[in-house]
Amino acid sequence: MILRARSDLSLLGRWVAARVRLTLRNPRALMFTFVFPLILMAVFNGLNSGGTVAAMGDAGGKVAFAQFYTPSIGIFGLASACYTGVVLGIASARDTGLLKRVRGTPLPLPIYLGAWVIGAALTGIVAVVLLFVVAVPAFGVHVYGRMLPAAVVTLALGAATLAALGLAVASLVRTAEQAVPVAQLTFLPLSFISGVFFPLEGAPDWVVHVAHTFPLFHIVNAFDACFAPQTAGGGWSVHDLAGIALWGAIGLAVAARRLHAEPDPHDRRPLRAWALR
Amino acid sequence: MIAKSLHVGAGGRSALAGPPREDQPAIRVAGLRKSYDGVVQALDGLDLEVRRGELLAVLGPNGAGKTTLVEILEGHREADAGEVRVLGFDPSRREREFRARIGIVLQEEGLDPALTVREAIELYSAAYPDPRPAGEVAELVGLGDRGNARVQTLSGGQRRRLDLALGIAGDPELLFLDEPTTGFDPAARRQSWELIARLRALGKTILLTTHYMDEAQQLADRVVVIAHGRVIAQGSPDTLGRRTGEAAVVAFRLPDGVDISDVPVPAGADLEPLERRLSFRTATPTRELLPLLAWAAARDVELEGLTVSRPSLEDIYLQLTEEPA
Repeated sequence: MILRARSDLSLLGRWVAARVRLTLRNPRALMFTFVFPLILMAVFNGLNSGGTVAAMGDAGGKVAFAQFYTPSIGIFGLASACYTGVVLGIASARDTGLLKRVRGTPLPLPIYLGAWVIGAALTGIVAVVLLFVVAVPAFGVHVYGRMLPAAVVTLALGAATLAALGLAVASLVRTAEQAVPVAQLTFLPLSFISGVFFPLEGAPDWVVHVAHTFPLFHIVNAFDACFAPQTAGGGWSVHDLAGIALWGAIGLAVAARRLHAEPDPHDRRPLRAWALR
Repeated sequence: MIAKSLHVGAGGRSALAGPPREDQPAIRVAGLRKSYDGVVQALDGLDLEVRRGELLAVLGPNGAGKTTLVEILEGHREADAGEVRVLGFDPSRREREFRARIGIVLQEEGLDPALTVREAIELYSAAYPDPRPAGEVAELVGLGDRGNARVQTLSGGQRRRLDLALGIAGDPELLFLDEPTTGFDPAARRQSWELIARLRALGKTILLTTHYMDEAQQLADRVVVIAHGRVIAQGSPDTLGRRTGEAAVVAFRLPDGVDISDVPVPAGADLEPLERRLSFRTATPTRELLPLLAWAAARDVELEGLTVSRPSLEDIYLQLTEEPA
């Protein structure tokens, strides 16, 4: 059993590496995850250089535009990779019969799906790092060492939650064709009301309430707070992190229920039916 | 090493399970039934046995239940009733060690288009306990020079050969081939036949479904014809014809000025009036020919275009599957 656990881990590593490689070979994924956020960041930071906006996070006050916009657009890239990418990728893998092929080999489906999730999270995190690598010298964005651990944890937890939700949504849509509008209609409106493109300052109360219900707002709020100088201490937004974790748990529960990972050898019907359509 | 420890470690399998002994059939199916939505009876009490090391071809018209049968044997579907044993396993339980010992080549299975041939073979065989080297597998299927080509750049025939490569990369002892050469050009087909024959020579058990009679004739040790969810005939490609009771067709041109009633042919002989082609089916062509030839020799009549032909597998197949159930 130890032997198998170790070989399963190397199997997972192998598939994660392949997923990352495949993402890097996919022009659509590269565009939405790496290039598009970079362009948005460069254009808007350039247009608004010297300006200030209301800060996200709990400390209130104003921040330089780039201190708000850079982390926000980072989360946009993260969500493209982890949520949209996973929904579309897995729905199309099922549609084209790729999952059926996997199910005909000894590769456990949870390892295959796990590789998708981890690969997407890694890609998304690299996209965020790349954004800062450009924004720090180009637009004078400050990264605060005292809040870096909180930023990293928020990013990792956010990536995991978005990927878990992606997996859940992929398990609910029927076809790859359906997956595109479902992914866009869930992600884009939420990104507008969650502070990805502009702060929620002045938005009607009900919009703010709706936004607070969903995980994207909490990810943006917690991550942006780490780049607002007025944020106190280590920048840990505990209630946001709790909200993100709760959504992650919901996503995992739905995905696990729909995909029914292999613990019970007698009942794998939901997984079978799902993988085979 | 790992594979062996897995056999011991996997609990909950029935006493029948385990590594197949030499005397145990690779596949045993009895009274298999499967209906869809309770309406379409895809399999209706099907019995089948495949010996170890045998290459069995499954023939049947579309909708006969071929795909359902194969998918049940592979563990992709569950039967409503009946007994299924594949390599001693119940395939519906889809145990990992079962999947490690079979190879599946289906039609229309997806594959990441941006992978290279070599990457695909390495990746999809990684979960098998003892995979073959990727280069060797690519060479075997005739893709040795395409190892670095992306899947999306392969032609249709090359893509099918890659499917075959992925099916054998894990070095499975039982291989399912679902119409493995559909869409191949003649050269690629020959090449695949050689490969399949070579796999068989290695002692692999192979279950092949095909629409091509020549493929079955060329490759199979035994042919099973399925229609309406049941086995309606089986035998070696050469002996299958005897089951129909019509082993040969004798035909010749009826000489001018001779009436059919003058010729010593069995009752039921058929005369095609335009060409005056007379033919009859017989299980004993030698016995039937003797009086006919004696008759012709006595009158010094030449029987133009005389032929004795064995019905091809295709003839038999068409005849079998046209009959109502």
